[in-house]
Amino acid sequence: MAVIRDMIAPFELYQPAGVDDAVRLMDQYGDEGWVLAGGLDTFDWFKDRIKRPAAVIDLAAVDEIRGIAEGGDGGLDIGAMTSLTAVAEHADVQSRYPLLAEAAGLVATPQIRNQGTLGGNIVQDTRCWYYRSGWPCYRAGGNICYASTRRAMNREHCIMGADRCVAVNPSDTAPALVALDAEMVVASSSGERTYAAADFFIGPDIDIERMTVLEPGDLLTRIVLPAPREGARWYFEKIRDRKSWDFSLVTVASMLQVQGGVIQDARVVVNSIAPYPVRMGAVEAAIRGREPSEETGQMAGEIAVEGARALRHNDYKIALTRNLVKRSIRDAA
Amino acid sequence: MEFLRRALNPWGEDVPIGVSWDLIWAAVIIGAVFVVVHALMVPKKVATGEIDESEAKGLPEKLQRHTVGARGFHWSMSATMFALLITAFFPVIGIQFPWVTIHWIAGVLLILTVIYHIYHVFAKQDFWTMWIDRRDVEEGKLGLKAALGQSDAERPRAGKYPVDQKMFHHVAMIATLGAVVTGILMMFRIDNFLLPMNTYMFSDATWGWIYVIHGVCGIGLIFLVIAHVYFAIRPEKRWMTWSMINGWIDRDRYLENHDPARWTVDGSSQRAEAEGD
Amino acid sequence: MAERTIGTDISPPDLHAKITGRARYAEDFHAEGMAFAKLLLSPMPHARVRSVDTSRAEAMEGVLGILRASELPRPEQGTREGALSDEPLYEGAPILAVAAVDETTAAAAVEAIRVDLEPLPFVLDPLDSLREGGPNARTDGNVPGEDGPTSLKWPDSVFDEAGPDRLPMGEPTAEWAIGDVDAAFAEADVIVEETIVHQSVTHHPMEPRSCMAYWQNGKLFLHGSTQSTERTRGPVAAMAGIDVEDVVMIGEYCGGGFGSKIAGVPIMAVPAVLSRKIGRPVMLRITRYEENYIGRARAGFQGWAKIGFRSDGRMTALDLYLVQDSGAYGASDFFTAGTVATASYQPENMRFRGVPVYTNTPPRSAQRAPGGAQIVAMLEPVVDKAARELGVDRLEIRKVNAPGHDGWLGPNQGPFTSAYVREALDLGGELFEWEGRSQLSGRREGTRVTGVGMGLSPFTAGSNGRDGLLVIRPDGKLHVHQGIGNLGTHSIADTARAASDVLDLDWDDVVVVWGDTSKHLPFSTVQAGSQTTHAHTRANHAAGEAMVGLLQELAALELGGSATDYRVADGRVFRAGNRAAGLSFAQAAERAIARGGKFSGGEIPEDLHDVTKGAVAGLAGEGLIAAAKDNYGQPGAVFTWVATFAQVELDVETGEVEIVDLASATDCGTVIHPRSLAAQTNGGVFQGIGMAKSQRWVFDPQWGIPFTKRFYTARPPGILDVPLSPRFAAVNEPDPHTPVGAKGIGEPPVGAGEAAYACAVADAMGGLCLCRTPLTSDMILAELEGRPRPYGLLDTHV
Repeated sequence: MAVIRDMIAPFELYQPAGVDDAVRLMDQYGDEGWVLAGGLDTFDWFKDRIKRPAAVIDLAAVDEIRGIAEGGDGGLDIGAMTSLTAVAEHADVQSRYPLLAEAAGLVATPQIRNQGTLGGNIVQDTRCWYYRSGWPCYRAGGNICYASTRRAMNREHCIMGADRCVAVNPSDTAPALVALDAEMVVASSSGERTYAAADFFIGPDIDIERMTVLEPGDLLTRIVLPAPREGARWYFEKIRDRKSWDFSLVTVASMLQVQGGVIQDARVVVNSIAPYPVRMGAVEAAIRGREPSEETGQMAGEIAVEGARALRHNDYKIALTRNLVKRSIRDAA
Repeated sequence: MEFLRRALNPWGEDVPIGVSWDLIWAAVIIGAVFVVVHALMVPKKVATGEIDESEAKGLPEKLQRHTVGARGFHWSMSATMFALLITAFFPVIGIQFPWVTIHWIAGVLLILTVIYHIYHVFAKQDFWTMWIDRRDVEEGKLGLKAALGQSDAERPRAGKYPVDQKMFHHVAMIATLGAVVTGILMMFRIDNFLLPMNTYMFSDATWGWIYVIHGVCGIGLIFLVIAHVYFAIRPEKRWMTWSMINGWIDRDRYLENHDPARWTVDGSSQRAEAEGD
Repeated sequence: MAERTIGTDISPPDLHAKITGRARYAEDFHAEGMAFAKLLLSPMPHARVRSVDTSRAEAMEGVLGILRASELPRPEQGTREGALSDEPLYEGAPILAVAAVDETTAAAAVEAIRVDLEPLPFVLDPLDSLREGGPNARTDGNVPGEDGPTSLKWPDSVFDEAGPDRLPMGEPTAEWAIGDVDAAFAEADVIVEETIVHQSVTHHPMEPRSCMAYWQNGKLFLHGSTQSTERTRGPVAAMAGIDVEDVVMIGEYCGGGFGSKIAGVPIMAVPAVLSRKIGRPVMLRITRYEENYIGRARAGFQGWAKIGFRSDGRMTALDLYLVQDSGAYGASDFFTAGTVATASYQPENMRFRGVPVYTNTPPRSAQRAPGGAQIVAMLEPVVDKAARELGVDRLEIRKVNAPGHDGWLGPNQGPFTSAYVREALDLGGELFEWEGRSQLSGRREGTRVTGVGMGLSPFTAGSNGRDGLLVIRPDGKLHVHQGIGNLGTHSIADTARAASDVLDLDWDDVVVVWGDTSKHLPFSTVQAGSQTTHAHTRANHAAGEAMVGLLQELAALELGGSATDYRVADGRVFRAGNRAAGLSFAQAAERAIARGGKFSGGEIPEDLHDVTKGAVAGLAGEGLIAAAKDNYGQPGAVFTWVATFAQVELDVETGEVEIVDLASATDCGTVIHPRSLAAQTNGGVFQGIGMAKSQRWVFDPQWGIPFTKRFYTARPPGILDVPLSPRFAAVNEPDPHTPVGAKGIGEPPVGAGEAAYACAVADAMGGLCLCRTPLTSDMILAELEGRPRPYGLLDTHV
């Protein structure tokens, strides 16, 4: 069977006007259905005819999950269909959650941020090019990880959290949301569930074919940010090969609670080094009660990469992770 | 229902990548049907107590059927087998947890157990006890007829192992060895500290067949385990099950089910020890 | 007097169409009954087609025909690439094409075809192929021989002696020398030696090579994306197996070529022949994915250089060895590279050796300074290393070695037409404030270290002997017929200015005719080698002079007196000193048509190319027609030099490099169009920086399949990756051997930008040259942190 790429195959298009309708359609089609938000992840798959769903459920008209509103307890409630531009440019996000504004603003290009949604950015599939080439790897239901073979080109892949599959989570906003302790609200025909952002992402050890807890029939509807904490310092940095339209090599997002020159509490998250955003619990524990100094950062960086293991071409990620975690403590503002 | 899962490899060649997971359910259903049909058709034949007293002379009350080592092997194998089957198939049917490390470690333990067993069989036991000979075939035929009520013929007494146990052993042995050998090879494809990663050791089609064999053996073991557990809990077989726990059978059961000519127990523990299981 | 247009900014005639989206590219055309074709690409890097089962495809409703390689006219030479192949030599090579009533059906039909392929040995790394027992990319060999490909293997000892970090250098297939390098090394004050890798990179033009073809009365009409309109007819005729006169090539706009579409592209054969086969127009829309495969690429090098210097910085010996990754069908970059090196450094002694090796990777072609950009980017950081050892300023060492007007080129040591190289270096140095900036070298602020560097890049920039064709029509306008293509460089308009200036005509009265060979276009240069500006300012200048002569002669016949009594300016030919006594261009056109003969295309100058003669004949009677060949002569090689200066900041904690400032200066002769020149220069500099910094062409070595098939994975640089306002200046001294004084600019900026970046990064690393492209942040960080290198020194496709 010959292969055609770069040309979308026909499908049935549904454009529900509400979450209930969307969820009903998702139930109806199960594995044969595909949820379309901004399309930046979707259309790559469709163009290459690797994913060929029978029905596409386009959320463009589901207005109830678009927009940013005041949440309870002084937080913010962001609809999953809110564009990344809207998130990045929203006055409240900028003033109260600059970490998220920064992360959303560094996604790809202005055009992609206009079209792409926050929800889509969170649940996007990995960019492992073996997987994206339609090769029958573990993540695609096969019996091999091409990216971890001896001669594989795996500069962009995992240094931790791998389990057969070594693909990384590519999201820029995911680590920011984990650092902000956001909650993910998921709708399905059996009702609404809420996950802490850190629990929303799963590794290949649990399910090698998914990156989040979402199963067929589940729809991420809202992202709920808790009230910002007074005097919090933050840091976000995305390292990439180009300054636009590029996925990160390593991204760090951190929130530090500093009082009297001492770190009271911290959330340090690194993405693109594992199949999920990695919350650095050991780092957080180690830096509590210390000054956010070069020395503390250095120690934190060393702890962050304990147990990290390089593949053939990605040893640099260990140094990069160490340095970025160091910066995220030393330079948090 | 497809038997194989297939995929196009990077060069567009159609290769097998594993056995169809639908076969899991096939094995479970066939196992269940077997159990139900067997339970309905085969009457529970509990001990009759009719034994030839002359044969009982000189025999102790309790005769050792399984040594400690043999029992250790059995339970170790069953524990690893359950661990393997659960870690293999629960994630497939939707009960998800990090299973790979448990699976391969359980597999390594199973291999150690099997190695011990092989060593034990050749070094300490009579290898031929488990061999199916002409008398076993005869025993089997008559036993089957008796079980189905087609004949008045009594099922003749067995050697140390009844023929159905021997058959189970052999089928289980094939399935286990198949899973073990392919499983060892598959460890070259996952990150473990025992074997180096060598993903491209074989062609992808060969790898595909290795996964197929592993899957077939694993799914076959689902059926075998169901059948094995079923027989273990049948009332007329429970004395055997108990012997796998405490090691001995009583004299009456021995004489009722076993032909002393084919399984000679002289009553000395030394003899029984040497014979092993 | 009309204002002289040369040297001023104009709006080229295609600008509005491009900006408003009205410009129609090949893919935008539609013909009655048009069918769509889709390609079936090879899934293997090297294979032989055993059988093809098209039965299911042919049974599909709407499928109109299938084209196989055997139905295309056979390529004349063994290594020449056909549009389709039954022995695909790279993953993605087209095997067959299907035509159907729409694209959806054609795609479904391709998916329904079963191709039985026999996998054959493949190779991605030239050095693997040169080893004993290593695979050959082609069944007929791995290197070009006298009668087609032949097999070349080096003994294991060559590889063993070299070790992993030095280029193995066995028997070369090409070699030349000037003087005695060994003797020169013996006397050199400083010798530097490096093994250097330059990557292969795909072209990635914005417009893929889509094309549409239809036939009318035995004539093939082809809409395609090409760099050179008139010169594409010949190759297309050969592809279709017809006479060149029977090809009408239409391509007004070309959405980028960079050397990948010089004279049409092989895939044009598919719609051309398929259209003839099914009797309907055929559109073949090439996708970005397909463009990645058939869109051509620059040949990469694994190289080694040993360079000797005198204490004053003069290069006394250059020993160069290049192993070229030629792709499946060959490339000549490596040889050009050796020649270009002489135009940079004028080494007193030089030895060049090289081996071009076929690999099972997509076909190579010229890419903007083919060979030149690579060698400049490879050698400039090594020269810097020597400058540091010698204690000579890095700008100074380039000035010491740069050619003057008495300079020489290549193994034959022929002359240049002009070389204001030192002037360009001085100009660039002033613009960049090199003296002060170079003091910033190594400055550390926070985690960022400053580096400055520069690159000097020469490349060919002209040719001669083409034809110009001008028509003054009764509308009074000067119609400049251009056979060159519209590559987006503005040369389509800018070279016409040579004619309008000779005629002293207002630019508003000039009509440029281009993009359709049925419009009677003259014989032109292929738009490559940065020849166009030079070649066609000359040709149009010659035609302009011929037109002046005809106008004078016509006026004398019409108004009396002798031809020399008349002047031409402002759209009139008039008696000297009396503007009223004369003819307007509109009147002249009418009189010319009435008189016929040489005034209106009835008599054609003998020295014109047949193509031009045909064009003149086609235009005969439509106005006052002047056609002339460029007979100005060219006593040397025409070269342009660009010097680019870069300041970067390297973050030592991440390996990231930010370019803080860029400045370039060029000797490209007379400046014709300042804004366009700056755009060409800066664009080329950016393209070069992309090769050095972020662009990649990664293959999986096990399967021989590339991954960087999309812009986002191939990572050419974006506008945010370069400074917002790069600066630019030109020496603006005319080349004395060409009437307008202009030389080309398209290509040399690439190597200059690439080298300036590489040198600046090395400078920021304290003079440490990692000597490879791309030099990505991971490699830099690994080096800074003393961690294992992510790739071997000789690894390609990383």
